[in-house]
Amino acid sequence: MKFSYSWLTEHLKTNAHFEEIEKKLTSIGLEVEDIQDTGKAYKDFIVGQVLEEKKHPNADKLKLCKVDIGKEKVDVVCGAPNVEKGMKVVYAPVGSTIPVNQIKIKAAKIRGIESYGMMCSEYELGISNEHDGIIRLEEKETIGRSFSEIYGLNDIVIEIGITPNRQDCLGVKGIARDLASAGMGELLERKISREKGSFKSPVKIEIQDNKICSAFAGRYFRNVKNTESPEWLKNKLKSIGLRPISALVDITNFVMYDENRPLHVYDADKINGKIIVRAANDGESFLALDEKDYHLKNGMCVIADEKKVLGLGGIMGGESTGCSTETKNVLLESALFDEINTAKTGRNLSILSDARYRFERGIDPNSTLKGIDLATQLILEVCGGECSEVELAGNIKENKNEVSTSSSYISRRLGFEVSDKELISILSSLGIETSQTGDVIKCSIPSWRQDIHGEADISEEVIRIKGYENIPTSNIRLKSKINKNILNYAQKKLMKARHFIASIEYDELVTFSFTDSKNCEVFGDINKLKIVNPISEELDILRPNLLPNLLQAIKKNKNRNFDSFSIFEIGSQYRSTFPEDQLNVACGIKSGIKTEKSWKNMQTEFDIYDVKQDLTSLIDYLMPGNKKISLSNDCPSWYHPGRSGSIKINNSVIAGYFGELHPRVANQFKIKNKTNIFELYLDELPNTEKKTTNKPVLNLSDFQIVTRDFAFVIDKKVKSEEVVTSAFKVDKELIRNVEIFDLFEDDSLGKDKKSIAIKVTLQSNEKTLAENDISEISSKIIESVEKSTSGTVRS
Amino acid sequence: MKDFRELETEIKKASDKFTNIESINEFKIKFLGKKGIISLEMKELASLSGDERKQYAEKLNKIKDSVLKIIASKTEELNSEELEKKLNSETLDITLSTSKSYGTIHPISQVIEEVITIFGDLDFFVAEGPEVETDYNNFTALNTSEHHPARQMHDTFYVETETDGMPNVLRTHTSPVQIRSMLKQKPPIRLIAPGKTFRCDNDQTHSPMFHQVEGLVIDQESNMSHLKGCLEIFLKTFFETDKLNMRFRPSHFPFTEPSAEVDIGYTKKGNQLIIGEGEDWLEILGCGMVHPNVLENVNINSNEYQGYAFGMGIERLAMLKYGISDLRTFFDSDLRWNKHYGFSPLNIPSIIGDLS
Repeated sequence: MKFSYSWLTEHLKTNAHFEEIEKKLTSIGLEVEDIQDTGKAYKDFIVGQVLEEKKHPNADKLKLCKVDIGKEKVDVVCGAPNVEKGMKVVYAPVGSTIPVNQIKIKAAKIRGIESYGMMCSEYELGISNEHDGIIRLEEKETIGRSFSEIYGLNDIVIEIGITPNRQDCLGVKGIARDLASAGMGELLERKISREKGSFKSPVKIEIQDNKICSAFAGRYFRNVKNTESPEWLKNKLKSIGLRPISALVDITNFVMYDENRPLHVYDADKINGKIIVRAANDGESFLALDEKDYHLKNGMCVIADEKKVLGLGGIMGGESTGCSTETKNVLLESALFDEINTAKTGRNLSILSDARYRFERGIDPNSTLKGIDLATQLILEVCGGECSEVELAGNIKENKNEVSTSSSYISRRLGFEVSDKELISILSSLGIETSQTGDVIKCSIPSWRQDIHGEADISEEVIRIKGYENIPTSNIRLKSKINKNILNYAQKKLMKARHFIASIEYDELVTFSFTDSKNCEVFGDINKLKIVNPISEELDILRPNLLPNLLQAIKKNKNRNFDSFSIFEIGSQYRSTFPEDQLNVACGIKSGIKTEKSWKNMQTEFDIYDVKQDLTSLIDYLMPGNKKISLSNDCPSWYHPGRSGSIKINNSVIAGYFGELHPRVANQFKIKNKTNIFELYLDELPNTEKKTTNKPVLNLSDFQIVTRDFAFVIDKKVKSEEVVTSAFKVDKELIRNVEIFDLFEDDSLGKDKKSIAIKVTLQSNEKTLAENDISEISSKIIESVEKSTSGTVRS
Repeated sequence: MKDFRELETEIKKASDKFTNIESINEFKIKFLGKKGIISLEMKELASLSGDERKQYAEKLNKIKDSVLKIIASKTEELNSEELEKKLNSETLDITLSTSKSYGTIHPISQVIEEVITIFGDLDFFVAEGPEVETDYNNFTALNTSEHHPARQMHDTFYVETETDGMPNVLRTHTSPVQIRSMLKQKPPIRLIAPGKTFRCDNDQTHSPMFHQVEGLVIDQESNMSHLKGCLEIFLKTFFETDKLNMRFRPSHFPFTEPSAEVDIGYTKKGNQLIIGEGEDWLEILGCGMVHPNVLENVNINSNEYQGYAFGMGIERLAMLKYGISDLRTFFDSDLRWNKHYGFSPLNIPSIIGDLS
């Protein structure tokens, strides 16, 4: 909401400095967002008169002018098509700054001719978009007079943010009233003469649906002249960025910004019969003042005549009954439209208008007739003519809110003592009448404050006027804890996973929860993930998986010359757009160069064993202690079918996958390097919340450790893990470790064969192992491995 | 009997010729070996009698000791020489190096962990809710009815699923976690709820996805002065400053009454923002006393219980504390940015150690 300081002082008698008022506005909740001292911005611009005008010798479109600016006569080169001899213009001298582009005017040669200063258009001065020519001032203007005085710009324009509850401050008067309540002066009542009217309005009004419009006051004016508005009115509107149109329209705008009372004027000669306020029917349409056709739906509030729709109640008038300079007879409307219906209609048709903005926030019912009075006075003064009696349809219900409270309630909420006396005094400054019975203070809320419904609202009014800076500061540390844990097990798991993964060289990324459906068919059912109003086509679904955005990130960074990627994200992915279908996943990618070629190392690339190790050590970190991990080749379709695995913990659900990205998916994301990924479904990890801080008992043996190596030739398709587990199970006590230390494939071993060598570590808890103990267990190991792998030991 | 003086001379002579460990061994065998000179002399002692034997034995043992000493000291001497030689030949160029890189923690995660650490110390637990929310939890239960003008300011993303006849939304703030938590738990309640939030807005200063942290305290006495105290501790600890100008301004949120916005003071030094002191104000968060209607919506008696709530933007906190200038870079996945602004994984925020 914009208003000028001079406008404010028409409603507020104050001795306060502007700076005080500025501070107070913010401190009572009317946050000052911008202040423009237009007097300052326009102080250099003055009235000049063109004395001579001739063609520039070196340029067809430029003219050489001699301009009288009072104290001297200057040469100005001008490109405006409308410049002519005798014209009064706005002159910007050398050294002044043009508001629209902040360019400082210098004396300069333009196509070889000296030019001192500039003649300005409205666009250049930042007061409108008019840039077809320079401003033509009225003949009567005195040369040398300050331009800001003429346009009423010698003022300070204040822009404040109005929170949705403060409908009362959508008019300058309301702002003045709130400042007066906060001790900034005295609210002045505008003197409005109350015309009775000399005849009955020929246009009757009928409200068919009083739910959507509870009251409609109309007044007929005959023989008006819809001229240009007087300067004071035009300047007032211009000062807050509104374009003056014609006296009738300007007057309604003025009343809206002054009193927060939206009005509308109809060209009465274009109304067929009576005005009918009713709900629209599906299929009706009308051409609004913004020159757009709107298709209406059942229930929208329309103002119609006996033939057609004239306007949308509380939102926008129609083209057909709009007032023009020819308009002779006028119907003025001041009505009360339903808040919710107005909001719904406006949203449905996407119409933003000042009227809608006000009606959906709630309008003071008492402004209905006051608005008619103020507008009447101005119309008669500016446009002449005579007015009818006011025709009122419906009821203006004042429905005053009543709220009971007490100083103890207010004190308890605010955190400091507020006495009955102080409470009552603050409330009365706000126009809230009170009566006290015992401790209970009954408040009668004035009609302009539609936002005060309960005691909590009263507490806000009190602290707002008293000042938030007066709230004391209290300690919040507790004597005894109320929460057993700050983070629960699942939350700790997420945090631990994040730090662990970053500690093994991955960079954490945070990407959007949306992604592009075009890349996601392989990852999930994109039809279940649609966003109705996406920010762009490329972000049209909730991500079914963390991978698409991470793969995009790889592609982007590849273009930035990165060739080694270790990135991860921990976040949610979605099965559908129901709230409960959200999963926590950790997803890591290693792709490209693992070790750079250097004086010490050969270049190596990441492969699936890197991500497998990262995933298994992550699981070990999150789930320390004994667990059974089993691997299978059963992986989702975005993995390379032969180079991927899934991890099952304790034979329950699959907790994660690792492997190479399927070449087809890689291709889709235009990634050429092998991309190795792991995914850990953190919600699926079995809960291992610590029951005790004790660690398991540790048994240490001091007897000698022996190692023995074995090599087996087995079929290629037999998994190496089979060799390890079949060796292990021979003696769980003596065999401490089994490790694969060599693997090779060669035709000399036979077709589709491979050789696997293992190192077995043996140690007893009871004795030093003798040679015959060792050879006994060795033959058992050979027997077991041969049996379960159908392989043979190599000697 | 031999003259021992001769033996001593011979020992001296031989010991001057040591050049390596082998010559020491030869020396040892020559004098102390089974058939060594001293050993043979020892054997001969048996043939002597009484006093003479004692006298000679004493002398011979002294000589034997001196030989052992020579062996020990010469061995040590030679070993040191050997090591010295070896060391002189074993040099590496220390200016060569191999590299080891660590990963990084994203600033969003870092700031969320810092916030949790500070509030955890004040006995707030961490609550959660889903990112897709019901219209009821996101708006209606928070005293924001269907046609409330505040709804339009939220630029809500809608999805195709519905709950109770209303389309589900991507939560526009973390406040619905208040509703979920209060339905689960009776007062006293102290919680924070960090998480992702979404609004259909995308420009220089808005991202369609961003992060907030919600705070909620409900008990029998918490009031505006506690809210002020709570935020003061938090902001001072977070910005790691003892001096902090803080300003409460009236504002409006449908779910709090009174509502306030909080500004903190700052000064600009060159390109750097110094948070805490100064004449200029930066808006940092919104807060207020929980509206009685919200409490009634979750079946908490608003005559018995009251409390406060607050919400702030994680990105804003991160930008102000760590000097990150552009909101949109957080989600741009530019690895140069991540490596520059990211944090060490070992740098877990702590109250006893460092917060950042």
